[in-house]
Amino acid sequence: MTDHNSSDRAATEPSAASAGLRVLIVDDHSIFRSGLRAELDADITVLGEAATVDEALARVIDLQPRVVLLDVHLPGGHGGGGAEVIREAAPRAPHTLFLALSVSDAADDVVSVIRAGARGYITKSASGAEVSEAARRVAEGDAVFSPRLAGFVLDAFGAVAGETAETTEELDRLSARETEVMRLIARGYSYKEVAGTLFIAAKTVETHVSAVLRKLQLSSRHELTAWALERKLL
Amino acid sequence: MTRPRLRLVGGVCAGFAEHTGVPLATVRLVTVLLSFCSGFGALLYAWLWVTVPSGGAAADPLPKSSLARSNVASTLSAAPIQAAPAALSGSEAMIGRSGFSRADTDSGRTAPVTEILLGLALLAAGSAVVASRLGADIPLAVVVPAIVVLAGTALAWRQFADIRSGAAQQSSALLVRILGALVLVAVGILLFFVTGTNPNAWTVILAAASVLLGVAVVTAPWLLRLWSDLADERAARAREAERADIAAHLHDSVLQTLALIQQKAGPHSDAARLARAQERELREWLFTGSRSGGTEPATDLAAALRRIAGEIEEYFAVHFEVVTVGAGVGVRSAAGPEANSSSTDAPESLVAAAREAMLNAARHAGGAVSVYLETGARGIELSVTDRGPGFRLDQIPEDRLGVRESILGRMRRAGGNAAVRPGPGGAGTEILLTLPAATTAPTTDEHHTETSVR
Repeated sequence: MTDHNSSDRAATEPSAASAGLRVLIVDDHSIFRSGLRAELDADITVLGEAATVDEALARVIDLQPRVVLLDVHLPGGHGGGGAEVIREAAPRAPHTLFLALSVSDAADDVVSVIRAGARGYITKSASGAEVSEAARRVAEGDAVFSPRLAGFVLDAFGAVAGETAETTEELDRLSARETEVMRLIARGYSYKEVAGTLFIAAKTVETHVSAVLRKLQLSSRHELTAWALERKLL
Repeated sequence: MTRPRLRLVGGVCAGFAEHTGVPLATVRLVTVLLSFCSGFGALLYAWLWVTVPSGGAAADPLPKSSLARSNVASTLSAAPIQAAPAALSGSEAMIGRSGFSRADTDSGRTAPVTEILLGLALLAAGSAVVASRLGADIPLAVVVPAIVVLAGTALAWRQFADIRSGAAQQSSALLVRILGALVLVAVGILLFFVTGTNPNAWTVILAAASVLLGVAVVTAPWLLRLWSDLADERAARAREAERADIAAHLHDSVLQTLALIQQKAGPHSDAARLARAQERELREWLFTGSRSGGTEPATDLAAALRRIAGEIEEYFAVHFEVVTVGAGVGVRSAAGPEANSSSTDAPESLVAAAREAMLNAARHAGGAVSVYLETGARGIELSVTDRGPGFRLDQIPEDRLGVRESILGRMRRAGGNAAVRPGPGGAGTEILLTLPAATTAPTTDEHHTETSVR
């Protein structure tokens, strides 16, 4: 496993394992919040809920949850939605990780929260078990990619057009292995299935995904920055 | 008030009659009678002709019948207004006789205006000459300015017609000519009074007022058009803003609720299926703009896959996660040579094979099915992965044509390849369709309507 912990500021923190995972649900729809709360696995403790950007900021700083299940579109604040919550709250809640939940498939929505620092992105149609699994994965320091996000990454980094990173330091392109992993995730494979198909360890898959997430957050590639600029993120 | 499509000359009388409910014959008669009173009427008729919009083709194909239907109920202020335009139908008849009749012209009202006005000017000059020959006392002080005014108006109209028809010329030249026309009109009106017998303060004031009026009459149609264009644009913008508002609201509330229903009901239930169908429709409407979604055949491969996914989801308890990557690829129709299809387009048989694969997954596996499309330099790669019980190709009886014919055979004929293999981790099935890049194989896909079973 390569050292990529520079970006995983919280991954190095000795977490309280996955048992008793403390999460905060941020969504502006109370039906969705209560629905998700009921659906989450028993070993996940919901510390609270928040409906607006300002409320979310206060709760995150106050409760210091391990994982925040964060809606991309949120009212309040300066209109920045979920991305604003991440940027504002992260400095004051150093051990909190964010998992974005959205009904939106739009690439710019996804990229805005990822670049703000979210550790993953899943759609709201995911089942309670899937959300729980994703939250646990995030809590352990891994990145969570939906098939759609993986597809977007392949597109945005030019992997489909055959661009490949020469060195591991390169931020603007994916390595051949990362491309393979992303391609399988886009096909709907789980991490374990990706590992089995590529004959690599599951931990290695997680490493690759984390590396891709880091590139997604730090890359200055045109396709990525265009959206970020549009949303005034840079 | 609009002028009907079916018209004798300009349709002004018919339009007026329809608008006010007065019988057409009466309008025409009054018009003819009043046209002998003064030359003023001719100008106004022409003015109405060009300002009153032509009725749309679909608006009323049978103006005659609607004329008959239109009752005399609308008694508003018809009488006083009626006099002026009515005065003009006389000139309508005159012009008709002098060979300017363009009753059946399709180009509408803009075309003959200039000719008509010039014709009127000539007519006025001619009748003045004839009258003076016959010994009548012709007031040249009236006739000459009238001719100038008509010529000026005609010139102005020529420019406006150009502006509206979009025949853009150099704007400076256009401006000069419009100004020239306006000056001509103003001079003509002024001449009426300056050449009068005994000028005094009142004639000067009247002259000034007349000039203003003349300019207003000449520019009115143009200003009216400008104003109506502005109003149209404003309305369109308001509609767009309203639509964006609704979209934002629906996105926040209804999509969330639909997602929740799917989540709670589980992927196999009817409720989830319905919610999914609704969500897809709503998304289509929200994110593809005002395009009427779903009815026209998709020409983009990714769009075609999504449409197929939607159709299948309506009948089976299945959810397709369609992920498309790479440049957009069109669908080449197998039916005939399409003018706009390039060689990079995917043949229709690929779509058909993908549909068959997705249908198989829906039928035999259900639940969540991943569809992944990658279009790149290497060609087109499409995979359909389900988590069902799985199957082996060699276990299918020979006579079952579903997979063998409509997927494998189809892809082979299209110059591609198809592979059926166990899904990831040995569970389920993965069907992989590949089509190499520069495939120019003719698509000789006979459209069978076999029921696919495996």
